[in-house]
Amino acid sequence: MCGLVGLVGTNQPSGALPDIVAAMLNRIGHRGPDGLGAVVGDDWALGAARLAIIDIADGAQPMSDPSGRFWLAYNGEIYNYRELRAELEALGVVFATHCDTEVLLQAWLTWDAACLPRLNGGFAFALYDRREERLVLARDRFGKRPLFLARHGGGLLFASEMKAFLAVPGFAFEQDPAQLASILATWTPLPDQSGFRGIESLPMAAWLEVRRGAVSRHTYAPLGFATDTAPATEAEAQELIHQRLTESVRLRLRSDVEVGVYLSGGIDSAIVARLTTDLSPRPPATFSVTFDDPSLDESAEQNAVAEALGTRHHALRIDGAAIADACPAAVYHSEIPAFRSAFVPMFLLSKLTREAGIKVILSGEGADEAFLGYDLFKETQVRGRWDSFDEATRSQILARLYPHLDHYGPQEVVALTGLYQQFSTERMPGLFSHELRFQNGRFSARLLKPDGDPFGPITALVQAHPELAAMSPVQRAQWLEYKTLLPGYLLSTQGDRPALAHGVENRCPFLDPGVIDAANASNLRFDDGFDEKRLLRRAFADGLPACVVNKRKFPYRAPDVAAFAAARPDYLDLVQSETELAGLPFLDAGFARRLTAKVLSRPAAEISPKENQTFLFLLSIVLLHRFFVRREGVPGQDIARPALRPTHLVDLRSAA
Amino acid sequence: MPMDKIRAFIEEQCLIEFDDSFPEDSNLFKEGVMDSYGYVHLCRFLEREFGIHFTEAEMTGNVLVSLTQIRDTVAAKLAQGAQQ
Repeated sequence: MCGLVGLVGTNQPSGALPDIVAAMLNRIGHRGPDGLGAVVGDDWALGAARLAIIDIADGAQPMSDPSGRFWLAYNGEIYNYRELRAELEALGVVFATHCDTEVLLQAWLTWDAACLPRLNGGFAFALYDRREERLVLARDRFGKRPLFLARHGGGLLFASEMKAFLAVPGFAFEQDPAQLASILATWTPLPDQSGFRGIESLPMAAWLEVRRGAVSRHTYAPLGFATDTAPATEAEAQELIHQRLTESVRLRLRSDVEVGVYLSGGIDSAIVARLTTDLSPRPPATFSVTFDDPSLDESAEQNAVAEALGTRHHALRIDGAAIADACPAAVYHSEIPAFRSAFVPMFLLSKLTREAGIKVILSGEGADEAFLGYDLFKETQVRGRWDSFDEATRSQILARLYPHLDHYGPQEVVALTGLYQQFSTERMPGLFSHELRFQNGRFSARLLKPDGDPFGPITALVQAHPELAAMSPVQRAQWLEYKTLLPGYLLSTQGDRPALAHGVENRCPFLDPGVIDAANASNLRFDDGFDEKRLLRRAFADGLPACVVNKRKFPYRAPDVAAFAAARPDYLDLVQSETELAGLPFLDAGFARRLTAKVLSRPAAEISPKENQTFLFLLSIVLLHRFFVRREGVPGQDIARPALRPTHLVDLRSAA
Repeated sequence: MPMDKIRAFIEEQCLIEFDDSFPEDSNLFKEGVMDSYGYVHLCRFLEREFGIHFTEAEMTGNVLVSLTQIRDTVAAKLAQGAQQ
């Protein structure tokens, strides 16, 4: 069940509400092509676009309790709904369907907000209490499913995707330079940011209530790394990881439709595919992106896993032209400025997945955050102790950290040494781990005319969490990843949005409280973390090809600026023409033109990562301006939109 | 003036323009316009252009962080070379 919209306390005429809610739903119809439903009151409405996965016959939404007082529109899945249902039945609750929507409704009616920490899943929901005129909006603890809100017309609008607001009379989108500066600097939006003025993303692990116009905000399940789990030996830790992941995949295979797996070529999705194969009656369908460019391609590892497990494997070959062609549509769906192009292939892969008849897939997101897969975590350890190392130790550590350095000359080592020297002590309070990464962001922020500190919002975020002070430097780095790159890009722009653009639901077994607890109990206890995700790989070494088990972390990337430089799509005019750029007065047009001229004319080897990243940001900001602010398409780039009408409408207006 | 070439190289490399809002003594790392990638290119450019050599200590210290410092360092090296 995959998209919701609504409005409360609105001064729109009640006669117009059925059409408004239908138009909002229509804008996100791609998320739930199996049926649109709505309920309308005098000054409120709720709508749901449904992707039928569990209890396909009886799960229509919005759903009410038997009294008709409470109405629920819900997007996502609660994986432990059977266990919750059993608990509720023991308390005397009677169920009319087998759907997880009803379990959520009854859980809220029974436990109120105390039900939230009990939910294991990816979800966002809106629950309206007609008697109290109280709306509750809530979101899952990791930010898997989206929920945006905006004040408008005397009331509150909300929707799974902001594009639903395009259908609300009188609503105007405006890009917010202060939010954009923060997004450029920190690479992704912060939990409450959307990039547009007046639109808020409901943060992960948050809920809010609106009662007769008054909004109150709450949080639950605060992110922490403390655990009572204490494996005594490395073998016990591996066993724990194996067992928790098996249980997590088992829960996520609960579905009345077939579940497939996205195979990246890395260890995380290979583990998910292994467990899915073990727990399913027949090997799953698997899906992968492959590239012509061998420096990006992982098809050897993908094929090795598919062959070893006997999956029905589907590979989608992507070249630069395909990325340039699909980029505008993928940006329209993602709604957020993006720092790389790697989300575009995921948009194309979901189309192939859906065409193959699969509408639920499992993937490996969350493993690198939980099990310390990124170089960032090692660099944080090294930089923190850099000044205490002698020269020999330094070069030894750099060689371990960057094994590919052998390919470079001594000058690269010198440059890295110089870089570490510059970043061995904290300059940005609370952000030590991310200072190197934020250097690229500092450069990207030059796209905007200077207006305050682009790192102000993230500095305020860490200051609002005094519990960070008690965490280790690596845990603070994890905390930041869980609040920025994971929800702000990996789960959204590269996860939920491209998948749901074609009606495919993505599930992430690594983002399970039990799995993360096992990681917290094991990380850096039996090794120094330099051999990244070692325990995780050891735990599954027996069931997977050695080439995947022993492979170092290989970041998933796609052709970036080179794709656009080669394909030269007509829409590049948007970032080259003075007139077009003048339409976005917050941009530093001179810098934007210098950047574009350089990256589109120089050979790829001369383009630095930060220039690449900044160009993608510029292009996506300009495309978003086109789609949302100007409400114009990109010539030659039609956005497919299914024209759906609600299949059922419940009319509760007093005049009805 | 060969020294102007350094300024032009950095402006081109870092996509900046030195002016009142971005003075020549700005720390290029702290301003976010220089990274390890650009740094290697800069060192190679200087060595090639001026026929000089930087030791590891010079490169890894805090010498080459601003246009002013780079110019002073190159000038000092050239003077040193001329005396020998």
